[in-house]
Amino acid sequence: MDLLTFRDQLFVEGEKLGFSELELYYEKQSGFGCQIFKGEIDDYRSSTVIGVSVRGLYNGKMGYAYTEKLDEESVSFLLDNIKENSKLIEDDPQELFEGNANYEKLDFYSATLTEISIEEKIEFLKEVEKKIYEYDHRVVQTDYAAIQDQLVEKALFNNKGLALQDRNNFLFVVFSVVVKEDEEIKSDFYFKLTKDLKSLDTDEIAKEAVEKSLSHLGGKSYPNKTYPIILKGQAASSLLATFSPSFSAKSVQDNQSRLKEKLEQKIASNVVTLLDNPHLPDGIRSGTFDSEGVPTKQLTVVKDGVLKTYFHNLKTAEKDGVESTGHGHKSSYKDSVGVSPSNFYVVPGIESYEELYGDLEEGIIITSLAGLHSGANPISGDFSLAADGFYVKDGKIVSPTNQMTIAGNFFEVMQDVEKVGTDLEFSPMDYYGYIGSPSLKIKGLAVTVD
Amino acid sequence: MLNKALLEDVLSAALTTGGDFSEVFVEDRFTNRMSLQSTKLEKSLSGRDFGVGIRLFKGLNSIYAYTNDFSKEGLLQAANAAAQAIQGKADKAIILPLMKQNLNAIHPIHLMPNSVDKTRKLQVLRQADQIVRDYHSSISQAIISLLEEEQHVLIANSEGTYVEDTRVRSRLTINAISSNDHDMQTGFYGPGRHQGFEFIEDLNLEHYAKEAARIAVTMLNADPAPSGKFPVVIDNEFGGVIFHEACGHGLEAAAVAKENSVFANKVGEQVASELVTYIDDGTIKNEWGSINIDDEGEEARKNVLIENGILKGYLIDKFNARRMNTESTGSGRRESYKFAPTSRMTNTYIAPGKSTPEEIIANTEYGIYAKYMGGGSVNPATGDYNFAVNEAYLVKDGKIDKPIRGATLIGNGAKTIQKVDMVGNNLGHGAGMCGASSGSIPVNVGQPMLRVSEITVGGKEAN
Repeated sequence: MDLLTFRDQLFVEGEKLGFSELELYYEKQSGFGCQIFKGEIDDYRSSTVIGVSVRGLYNGKMGYAYTEKLDEESVSFLLDNIKENSKLIEDDPQELFEGNANYEKLDFYSATLTEISIEEKIEFLKEVEKKIYEYDHRVVQTDYAAIQDQLVEKALFNNKGLALQDRNNFLFVVFSVVVKEDEEIKSDFYFKLTKDLKSLDTDEIAKEAVEKSLSHLGGKSYPNKTYPIILKGQAASSLLATFSPSFSAKSVQDNQSRLKEKLEQKIASNVVTLLDNPHLPDGIRSGTFDSEGVPTKQLTVVKDGVLKTYFHNLKTAEKDGVESTGHGHKSSYKDSVGVSPSNFYVVPGIESYEELYGDLEEGIIITSLAGLHSGANPISGDFSLAADGFYVKDGKIVSPTNQMTIAGNFFEVMQDVEKVGTDLEFSPMDYYGYIGSPSLKIKGLAVTVD
Repeated sequence: MLNKALLEDVLSAALTTGGDFSEVFVEDRFTNRMSLQSTKLEKSLSGRDFGVGIRLFKGLNSIYAYTNDFSKEGLLQAANAAAQAIQGKADKAIILPLMKQNLNAIHPIHLMPNSVDKTRKLQVLRQADQIVRDYHSSISQAIISLLEEEQHVLIANSEGTYVEDTRVRSRLTINAISSNDHDMQTGFYGPGRHQGFEFIEDLNLEHYAKEAARIAVTMLNADPAPSGKFPVVIDNEFGGVIFHEACGHGLEAAAVAKENSVFANKVGEQVASELVTYIDDGTIKNEWGSINIDDEGEEARKNVLIENGILKGYLIDKFNARRMNTESTGSGRRESYKFAPTSRMTNTYIAPGKSTPEEIIANTEYGIYAKYMGGGSVNPATGDYNFAVNEAYLVKDGKIDKPIRGATLIGNGAKTIQKVDMVGNNLGHGAGMCGASSGSIPVNVGQPMLRVSEITVGGKEAN
């Protein structure tokens, strides 16, 4: 059954059953992914999947259900389940969005990307993989040499007349290289997201991927103490991502955010400005409307260290008596509407990464963090995380360190940011939104080296 | 789900360009999620996932395509698209005739989740919520969730495998949050089983909900963990996550076949302390990580991985078995039809030893007692792991001393398993979700209480 027929049937049947409001959210994901190992196609995936979720107001209460099958049976499956679920829900009643005309006319679809054939993508991988092996004799092999592209099409309809469509596509490449010298084995990875594969230089990628891994060879232990820290872009963005739910009005209203009652207060040092830009040309989360149909717009969340707003969806906005900021979000059609940033990042400063550590008398550079899903308390802000990086003395990198942990509190780190670099990077982990940061200089964190 | 003739057509279509193995995985899954927060049922979500994954091999090339267009045309199109990924001629595009196998269902289900009224389920959530909130005045929030799934699968391949299974899983997760003027802490317990609603209804809520609340309240009053190298006593059940990370992932063929694991080429060698016997067993009745068959249609089994410190074998799926010139161990698993299967764990545990928990604590002069572990991760290529401790104490002079918080353990898996110097007799299992290239799947981790002579503990108190 095609989508529009399904929608019409759903709305007609739903109204017959006594639903006052109904909304249909549609998502189609098409993708191709491939992985090469020693010149052979080790993994090759192509897919097209659709899913719809429906919410409906029944006796003033909102119920949800989803399916991946568009047929008549699903219409009754959805309506029956929404009805049953709505009867149990004890949450405040809520109305669907009427819609308004102020949607930006933007398209995040790159035609260039769809013109690249599968053969070209596989050739690209093979070429980079070959160059990785040739670059240095310490390369043992690749752990991953992979490419993935994704086209996401979304549509939103309700029985008040709302009908919206959006699409976004992107491609990313990942190369994880294992290197070995004597008995020491190290690995790191190169990640790049693009809308234009031809803009990527295979020599540059091979070089960067191998050198990243090589840079960790020769790890040393250093005394456990509090050091001044440079959080490199990748590490800073993954830390911000982990604690980004604190900026959601939902967390604040549920007593799960330390930013409660902190609007217009200083929550970070003067050099920190946090921006959410749903119209970023290369943003994974870019779109013109959110999961509830509210138009998206740029939002300054923290300005020169002062908290200006939380992220809102329709429901949290109504509770706080404000307008939705357009951050109603479903992680997929399987989820109900929550609150999430779109493309959310620390606005770059004026000093380069090299200048940031060039000023350090003694300190530690953190290049990556691990264990974020377990070693961080997203509510209190406390974290104790595994980390990789370098030891710096007199403005120069002396050596990589053995595996470390860094421990601190996110809200204190925000106050302790002394400088913001120019090298904005986004975290490949996009569960919490597409989150970015340049390298940050932090006053100090407790470091333990293995 | 799909008829035999269509399955045979799809399996054949996938082999028209010279592939030597094809497989169809059909999934129809019902999910219910209910979540109680701020004493109100905030989320009640039902859904149905339905899709088909088609896979083919040619030598060491593996191709996967998935779709939820389940019409004959849609499926043949997906099979053809997959076949186009390899360029060759079908030398013998022959598939063995499909003969439906009888499933040996070893995990009985009594109450299918969809047969139970949701108001009955809500009752359980409310009871758990009440127990958490009544525990202590510092409890400021409780989030209780119920997750239920009925997953129907059909697996057929060109070697004649043709089998169907229904996996039913139920899990209750209890999050307790405690707070005072300047701080918030959390406690968690999440019991789950490969079982129906009978498991949820018979749960000892008093125990699980109180434990979650007790952890949150205890941690609110804990001091920051010290930093440095210490003996670490890890308690049973979910404590087994350390070996899941530190050696389980390194024993998966996905890492071993490409020699991206420190355990590659070491069968027969001493890789762990001789106190360590490490087992993966998908057949334990109704456990969270249990299966009747894996996601490639192979029967579940008990695989001894390490016996008295000697490496015995790996967890192997069909594709990696090719690279390794060996057979599957019934370990091919995937989150859904959206993922090609690979070698994964089921219920993995350290076998019980002889020491009593009291003896282990009494023999520890100064160290850390990790009572409840959080999650962690590992880099399989290097074996470097990290994981968090949700509830920890200092041990002084053979006695459990004050609680500490923010302890993260880091180290290298291959080294840590050499340093196990006491193993207790109180084996227990804990439920968790494990994420890797074939998605997020339910697994159990398990162990008795044990002690590692030295692990690096990263805390806020840098000494």
